[in-house]
Amino acid sequence: MFDRDVWQEIFNTLKTNKLRTFLTGFSVGWAIFILVMLLASVNGMQNGFVGQFNDDATNSIFVRPGTTSKAYGGFEAGRRIQLKNDDLEYIKESFPKDIEYISARYYGNATARYKDETGSYSVQATHPDHQAIEKTLVTAGRYINEADIINKAKVAVIGRKVAEDLFKKEDPLGKFVEFNGLPFRVIGVFTDDGDDNAERRIYAPVSTYQRIYGNTNEIASIALTYNPNYDLAEALEFSERLEILMKRRHKIAPEDQAGLNVWNYAEAFNDISSFTAVLKGIGIGVGFLILIAGIVGIGNIMVFTIKERTKEIGVRKALGARPRQIVNLVLLESVFITAISGFVGLLFAWMILAAIGPMIETPAFSNPSVSLSVVVTATIILIVAGVLAGLLPAMKAANVKPIVALSDK
Amino acid sequence: MIEIKDLHKSYKMGSNSLHVLKGINFKVEEGELVAIMGSSGSGKSTLLNILGMLDSADSGEYNLDGVPIKNLSETKAAQYRNKFLGFIFQSFNLINYKSAAENVALPLYYQKVPRKERQEKAMKYLERVGLKPWADHLPSELSGGQKQRVAIARAMAAEPKVLLADEPTGALDSKTSYEVMDLIQKINDEGNTILVVTHEEDIAHMCKRIVHLKDGVIVEDKKVEQVRAEQYV
Repeated sequence: MFDRDVWQEIFNTLKTNKLRTFLTGFSVGWAIFILVMLLASVNGMQNGFVGQFNDDATNSIFVRPGTTSKAYGGFEAGRRIQLKNDDLEYIKESFPKDIEYISARYYGNATARYKDETGSYSVQATHPDHQAIEKTLVTAGRYINEADIINKAKVAVIGRKVAEDLFKKEDPLGKFVEFNGLPFRVIGVFTDDGDDNAERRIYAPVSTYQRIYGNTNEIASIALTYNPNYDLAEALEFSERLEILMKRRHKIAPEDQAGLNVWNYAEAFNDISSFTAVLKGIGIGVGFLILIAGIVGIGNIMVFTIKERTKEIGVRKALGARPRQIVNLVLLESVFITAISGFVGLLFAWMILAAIGPMIETPAFSNPSVSLSVVVTATIILIVAGVLAGLLPAMKAANVKPIVALSDK
Repeated sequence: MIEIKDLHKSYKMGSNSLHVLKGINFKVEEGELVAIMGSSGSGKSTLLNILGMLDSADSGEYNLDGVPIKNLSETKAAQYRNKFLGFIFQSFNLINYKSAAENVALPLYYQKVPRKERQEKAMKYLERVGLKPWADHLPSELSGGQKQRVAIARAMAAEPKVLLADEPTGALDSKTSYEVMDLIQKINDEGNTILVVTHEEDIAHMCKRIVHLKDGVIVEDKKVEQVRAEQYV
């Protein structure tokens, strides 16, 4: 294979047919370019989706009450389900091994005022665990802690945007803000990777808000994360157990989706992975179809070359070239053109991606890039493609009768 | 060296079958220089193709240096051709992008002779045909006679048992033809067996034996007084 004579022959044919070689090589290079770009785009989409979800812990489950749609256990349909503090305690006690973090959520709106500045923000009253569930990044001060919950302290962790709006350039830590007329002390400022809207939010202790709003023990929803060591199957199995238990507790028909919703991120993640897998499949499929055109082009040119060189091949055979040596020569030439032009396409695609990829950062599409595995796959595809393209012409060449060379006068 | 018994060959042409060789019996001893003559359609080229293992006979026996040539696979035929036979063509059939030396070395390449040894041998045979100074020239830079001499050197490089020349002077003017025949005679003088297919009387008479073919049978097989080509050069 690494024979000087073989390479000499290959280079000679390529050299004498420069334009022809370039045009055929171009089709393969182009095909690989498109294939890589498609795969990179799918990759970018995947990055975008994952980026969207990374905002929250990927092992989180949300339990949201609703209104029953079916009569069950002596109750009529249309009953509103209300979660309470003891639901949280009940889940905590029922699944000590499954749960990593758990927090209640209680929603409210607040018109906040500091000095002359006012603004309207949504308030989420939570437990300390909520920080881990929502992946809240506290940049200054601290998050809500157990003591705040027990003392029903009027403290707040405000988003970066809130701090900007109300405090301008002042340091908000330790300052008092009025929420609907009640003073809350700012104990922390947070940022969120998700988006700006999340930074227009205010966190407060759930117990504080429950007392302010009618001394209740009601909660709007429960957010929790499960044991991070769980795989998808275990996670789905756990959320199912949780759902069954909660529905039984609230006397909701097991099949009633409206009464209580247990939403598992793992499920959504699963959907997204299969979605991007399908996209990737389509990308590979389209890329391959284009590549086939390139392969046919190379095969075509090889057939032509063989036809031109029929006499030479005949002479070689008369001099003792075995059919296999002829086949090898043609295959090597074909693989060579395919591989070189393919690599040029690959390199080109890679350069474009390296140059502009990192600049693309949109919610649904970010940093399209090719991984090493794509490059390796493309290389293997190219070599296989080269062999495929050369196979038919090579057989044709091997079947050249030396007689042709002799009788050709 | 060559032994042929009752050789038949016919070609299918549509529904008709063309009987080209109708029972050839023929023997060549080592060191002979045989001219095979005949008009076109006499079957001389077919005979040469069969002798050269480029085509197979329908029936009959063919022994080359005691080896029966029958039912050869392509690969085996290639090996035998490489080992036993050297071809000289009318149109030289040199490979146009290889230098004279590389052309001569080609059969050795197929014998898997190491590169260095190939080059040495190629130079040796080029020297024998008097073209050593042209070793690095491409065929396009050589005259017709020089090309045929390179082709002869190539045919001899693998040190075959028999040289088969198909109209070796067909594409050359008479002066160059005699030069080439002179070379062939000298190679024969060294003991090499050579078969020359030709339709030119003067060329045939430069051999030691003339076999006449007509309509697929040997009509005449005679030893002749060799005319040395040297005197015309």
